[in-house]
Amino acid sequence: MHWGTLFDYICKGLDTSAPLAFAALGGVFSEKSGVVNIALEGGMLFSAFSIVWGSIIFHSLWLGLLFAVVIGMAFAAIHAVVTITYKVNQIISGVALNILAEGIARFLSQNIFGQETQSAMNPYSFPSYRGMNVFSLVVIPVAILSWFVLNKTVFGLRLRSVGENPEAADTLGINVTLMRYSGVLISGAMCGLSAAVLYPSRWVSGMTGGRGFIALAAMIFGRWSPIGAVLASLLFGYADAARISFASSIQIPSQFVQMFPYVLAVVVLAGVVGRSRAPAADGIPYEKGED
Amino acid sequence: MPTNAAAAAPSAVGGGASGSILLRMEGITKAFPGVVANDKISLDLREGEILALVGENGAGKSTLMKILYGLYRPDSGEILIRDRKTRIAGPRDAITQGIGMVHQHFMLIPPFTVLENIMLGSESSRLGVLSYAKPKAAAARLIELNNLHIDLNTSVERLPVGLQQQVEILKILYRGAEILIFDEPTAVLTPQESDELFKTFRQMRAQGKGIIFISHKLDEVLDIADRITVIRRGRVIRTLDRAEATKPLIAELMVGKPVILNVDNPRRSAGETVLEVDKLGFVNAEGVETLRDVSFRVRAGEIYGIAGVEGNGQSELIRAIAYRTRISGGSVRLLGSDLSGLDVRSRRELGLAHIPEDRHKFGLLLSFSLADNFILGSHYKKPFVSGLKTQVRKQIAENAKRLIAQFDVRTPSEQTPAHALSGGNQQKVIIAREMSQKPRLLLANQPTRGVDVGATEFIYKQLVEAKKNGAAVLLVSADLDEVMSLSDRIGVMFKGSIIKEFERESATKEEVGFYMMGEKAR
Amino acid sequence: MKRFNKYAIYEVMAPLVGFAASMALLMLIVVIVGENPGNAVDAIWKMTFATSTRTATVLSTSVPLFLAGLAVAFAFRANIFNIGVEGQYFIGGLVGAMAGIYVPLPAFLHIPFVVIAAMIGGALWAAIPAALKVSRGIHEVITTIMFNNIALALVNYLVNGPMSGLGATGSLEPQTRHILPTALFGNIDWMFRAVGWNVPDSVYLDYSLPVAVLVGLLVWFILFRLRIGFDVRAVGTSTDVSLYAGIKVAKVQLGAFLFSGALAGLVGLQEIFAVRGYYTFQIASGLGFDGIAIALIGRNSPVGVAFAALLFAFLRQAGYGLQFFTKVPNSVISVITGLMILIIVVSNELVSRYIKALRKKEAM
Repeated sequence: MHWGTLFDYICKGLDTSAPLAFAALGGVFSEKSGVVNIALEGGMLFSAFSIVWGSIIFHSLWLGLLFAVVIGMAFAAIHAVVTITYKVNQIISGVALNILAEGIARFLSQNIFGQETQSAMNPYSFPSYRGMNVFSLVVIPVAILSWFVLNKTVFGLRLRSVGENPEAADTLGINVTLMRYSGVLISGAMCGLSAAVLYPSRWVSGMTGGRGFIALAAMIFGRWSPIGAVLASLLFGYADAARISFASSIQIPSQFVQMFPYVLAVVVLAGVVGRSRAPAADGIPYEKGED
Repeated sequence: MPTNAAAAAPSAVGGGASGSILLRMEGITKAFPGVVANDKISLDLREGEILALVGENGAGKSTLMKILYGLYRPDSGEILIRDRKTRIAGPRDAITQGIGMVHQHFMLIPPFTVLENIMLGSESSRLGVLSYAKPKAAAARLIELNNLHIDLNTSVERLPVGLQQQVEILKILYRGAEILIFDEPTAVLTPQESDELFKTFRQMRAQGKGIIFISHKLDEVLDIADRITVIRRGRVIRTLDRAEATKPLIAELMVGKPVILNVDNPRRSAGETVLEVDKLGFVNAEGVETLRDVSFRVRAGEIYGIAGVEGNGQSELIRAIAYRTRISGGSVRLLGSDLSGLDVRSRRELGLAHIPEDRHKFGLLLSFSLADNFILGSHYKKPFVSGLKTQVRKQIAENAKRLIAQFDVRTPSEQTPAHALSGGNQQKVIIAREMSQKPRLLLANQPTRGVDVGATEFIYKQLVEAKKNGAAVLLVSADLDEVMSLSDRIGVMFKGSIIKEFERESATKEEVGFYMMGEKAR
Repeated sequence: MKRFNKYAIYEVMAPLVGFAASMALLMLIVVIVGENPGNAVDAIWKMTFATSTRTATVLSTSVPLFLAGLAVAFAFRANIFNIGVEGQYFIGGLVGAMAGIYVPLPAFLHIPFVVIAAMIGGALWAAIPAALKVSRGIHEVITTIMFNNIALALVNYLVNGPMSGLGATGSLEPQTRHILPTALFGNIDWMFRAVGWNVPDSVYLDYSLPVAVLVGLLVWFILFRLRIGFDVRAVGTSTDVSLYAGIKVAKVQLGAFLFSGALAGLVGLQEIFAVRGYYTFQIASGLGFDGIAIALIGRNSPVGVAFAALLFAFLRQAGYGLQFFTKVPNSVISVITGLMILIIVVSNELVSRYIKALRKKEAM
């Protein structure tokens, strides 16, 4: 195999991993604050729609991206309100939101682009290098920034405390609700960023194909740390990229290679001993101790 | 001894402390549904003074301190800090006013370091980025001043309990607490750790801080306290100076005259050994040995009562008998059969019945009807299940109606969901159910907790009835009166072992009380 | 036997409020799009209940939705989140199809045989996530979702490869061979005529309807009449209390999960055996997620799920009606559905808390 192919593979792998990595980072922020967000899938889908729509409306890719981030946060805000303020079960809310995302995207696509299952082409695109969307490289500084914010800032300390022991944080004067909203909104913003690297040229119904859930698997495999989540995303991404780049040279039927990331995710989850280090208060709505 | 608890002025005689009055609580009253936890309680605290709050379980000490720390609001009464009336709206408020509390269950973030735990909520930072230099210095200074031995950089979850408590202390000192509240601080400490804690108390006292600490342990109280306030059933009985305090005096003030319960409880000759616990040991998930060489036996036709301060292994003991548990040593035998490896159903089939200490968490399916709850545990057997494995609703309803009448359960119907009933009636349902199994061994864990007086008497009658029917009854209760009235034999549980057994006739409340507090043989 | 539940009114209120709110929203969107609300209502009526044929279509559409909702609801009863209904019905349908293609049986046996085969297929597909949950505590949400995707790839491979029947059928769409006529789900009009109800020939209802009704009754019977159903409901309410009462919690959870998978296996039967007559991986997808919504709205009871399924079917047909007769696009319905779910779920939560508080006061 010559170097050109290898280098192409490296670029392609980064390209494939980037959407997973952004989403996984979003998942980390949300769960570190104690809120399970399985609506990353819906968030990614809706943001993917928004970046195309926004680029067209605002005649600018960057404004389109900003729009996608804002929409991602708005979408996540619904999850936040429903689960934090109304204390509805976080999994149920996530499922409902995933259904909603597909529905709204289709509706808007129908009305704006005339077609329910896909949008118009985005006339703008990010520069490309050897088949890789250059924006994928942004994952690296974002990951480092995430790590820094979570571990080295006041905000990060408080966010994490709320996910571990909200009662203790509350007695120390920390606003648990505010911290949890922040975590969830950041996960929404990350979905927006993932739209930049998923396929910003066009929205297609169902284009996320379960990536939001693989991102969650990556987050778990990465033990809820930003760097770990990104590394795990790279693992999944490069595995998937291998399918695309090398499928022709292997004799395995394409569908099995297609299955591979999902099988890998299950194997990874099964292997990560059940007692993984989720934030202690993850998934549990916080109720102020009553009098 | 005067037992009047009205708004009498607290300690009249000047104590060893010479400082001005830091805190005054006057006429504090707090009632919950069914019980008055604090009844016009008054106390005061000076600078440079250690005040001990003593009383039995449920006397109202914790409630009072929670009011001081802002977790509850009093129904009436005043709180004055340095002679200024104040309202404490919540913990943050309390902290600002210089009150700090070290709870029984620590409020720490286990994966964070000591320094992070201390800083949390009061972080020092530059442009949002955490800066550690100042806090580190401040914390180090406090550590020195107060005889603490903590490494600021270890994560809290690695620290032994004694050091975790020191982190809690450090937290409140860091925030400038002048009034420090400790709720049963030595409950989770070894003797050595307790010594260290008291050294810290002395240092803090020397700095003019005021300390209130709640305790059961008379030795400690006499060791460290300047004054002692005794509370019983929500009222201040008396506040003593250290000079006038003796163990017998405090004990008597705490428990009062023995209450003679109206229970017809004749002693019968006991039959065969039903439950045999032999050198039972259990180590919990945190690695603490909560059961240590527990050995005792309960025979048919007798009530064996376990006396002891909560948290000395009673819950673990009941769990090891009722559930399949990974014990670290010893054995539990029911009618000769070793229970190890047997699941709950098998144990029940051998004749075990269990009244759990938390009826909502373990004893009832609250959203299910009473009829369903009455058959929990035997719902898989005839006559409640037909040959085709369907549920026989007629039998289930009949059974419920019968038990409701027999046990006088107040409910509109047997189909009412369990959560609609009052606590006492819910408890009756559980007891009715367990007893209708005609058990050989009945485990009764805090059977009258949260139950009103009327239902309580009824429950006592049922327990005696069970004994009369030949069952072996193992009673665990934090209410010493209850244990002493009902039991034929008493075992005192302390730090995971039965340290002393009494026959009913030869037991006095004082002596049992002493053993409960860890006194060795006199 | 009198049921003491004066709070029942409140419990039904949440779905009703959700439905009413969504209808209001729908009308709002209709106005925004520039259509006359009256036309919209008329269009909806035309497509849903105006004629018996249309009504039959609504009923027919509701069948797979009902089965999907039932599968999810049964798992929810045991507090298990079976998000894998999607994959389970793809696999279940394939196994059922195999039973219909390769195992010749007389007609009256073939259909039950096929149904059971589909249930086994669905249960098999739920087995690994179920085992992982029960033995190692791995949360079933992600594992079942992963298995959905794996299923799709797997059936894609199988239908394109070893189980392909393209040569035999001469079609261009990847599919299996044709299912034997004895297994096909035919028209059940004869059943109605047999009891004296003369339905017009244009009404098309197939055997999947009686299958669904029977399965619904079976689930009701299991949950509320069998002792094992009591165990399932107990475990779903509190594993602590169940353990205390001697119920074998792990076994019950495993069983409930597998049975849920079995029910899920039936979801595709109508399309495979009544509409197409062969299996393809291009059968309708998304029913699994619809099932989740239906279970939530139907509050996990067979009767509630039936109503919710009819509601969804009604909405779907309403969407077509709007599309066909007015300016309002079909995709509106997806939005309305999604919003309706959220409103209902929040209302359910608020109502439960309210009822709890009321009951607490009552007991004081």
